[in-house]
Amino acid sequence: MNYDEVVSGLILELRRGTLIILVLSQLKKQMYGYSLVKALQNCNISIEANTIYPLMRRLESQGLLKSEWDTGEAKPRKYYQITQDGAIVLEKITKYWKEFSKNLDILLED
Amino acid sequence: MKNDLVNRYIYAVTKRLPNNMKDDVASELSGLIEDMLTERCGEVVPTEKDICIVLNEIGSPNELYEKYDVDGKKCLIGSPYYSTYKLVLKIVLVCVAFGMTLSALIIQITTPNAIWYENVLSWFSMLWFGLISAFAFVTLIFAVFYHKGINIGNEFDLNNLPAVPNKKQVLSKKESIFEIAILILFFVIFITAPQIFGAIVDSPTRIIPIFNVDVIKGTWYIILLFTAMGVIREIIKLLEGRYNKRVMIATIITNIFSAISAFWWMSNDKIMNQEFILSVSALFAKEGNFISNIFANFQYFFLGVILFALVLDTINCIVKSK
Repeated sequence: MNYDEVVSGLILELRRGTLIILVLSQLKKQMYGYSLVKALQNCNISIEANTIYPLMRRLESQGLLKSEWDTGEAKPRKYYQITQDGAIVLEKITKYWKEFSKNLDILLED
Repeated sequence: MKNDLVNRYIYAVTKRLPNNMKDDVASELSGLIEDMLTERCGEVVPTEKDICIVLNEIGSPNELYEKYDVDGKKCLIGSPYYSTYKLVLKIVLVCVAFGMTLSALIIQITTPNAIWYENVLSWFSMLWFGLISAFAFVTLIFAVFYHKGINIGNEFDLNNLPAVPNKKQVLSKKESIFEIAILILFFVIFITAPQIFGAIVDSPTRIIPIFNVDVIKGTWYIILLFTAMGVIREIIKLLEGRYNKRVMIATIITNIFSAISAFWWMSNDKIMNQEFILSVSALFAKEGNFISNIFANFQYFFLGVILFALVLDTINCIVKSK
């Protein structure tokens, strides 16, 4: 069995599920796509830009994020920020995540 | 900083995206590429190599397009239509192959002077053409169903779950399969060897076709419309599995179109073979006017039978759908 392949597949699935929580949590303040990529990288979470950009757009269409273009600077940038609905969703999902990971830790320690 | 390569990359990502998001994604992507190049090169003007490295880092345009196109349906026919599509495709292909082979045999038998290998070759090319057309026809119907989101009631809502149908409301899968098979067989034989519908009137070796073979072959599109309506009606029945409002509306609409095509077809006064009408009328002249009249007005009799069957089917469907 190719363990590395299986493990990397599982990691990919785990990351896919938690990525939304990460993005929502960072966008409590306005950020543009690449600044979010960098912010996550600074916390040792490496997410590719080609995943973040489409994801932010999807979350915006779901009403969890809002965006606006800032054309005043030399480079026009699209800034994203969490909406009120997004904040409620984030609060609920964070609560679930903490509960779930606590239980998971207990099971893994057994 | 923008150069031709960046423009081409952005174009490759956005060209298939919906118009309302195309420009926005293009601007955002352009900003991302600029940010990545600035990080890589600082104040120095990036070289072609730098641009290539950054674009490779972002990844293939197709992959990125697929991530943006979350609402797009990524296959031609997907769930919940795919299993019914496979079933209908199998029936249609088998019937086309069988019908074409039967037609080739009829042509061989009814034309005694024919050279057999020419008929085999013509059968083979007909079969090939027929199977490809049938495949395209069925695929097109299901692709339209899938992409136009024709609702077949697969959403889940506890409060709106339909009642369990009583025995009379359950649509028989076998009946629909049989109906599709008959429609396809009828269509294939009718347009390839309409002489099969004939009668031996005066001599045991000569069959007089009921219909004018050339006119039948020339009006294939009307027969195709008639067949297509029937097949669509049966596919909807297969998908729904029970009589309901959707089946009722689909049956009424397809039957109206079937009736129009039957009327269009039978109102052609050259559709019947005059030799057949004259021979049969003469044959039954002694038996009385009634039978003779039926044959003399055979096309209207035939149209009447089709319309009667369609009306009966529509009434049956309306009653059972209530």
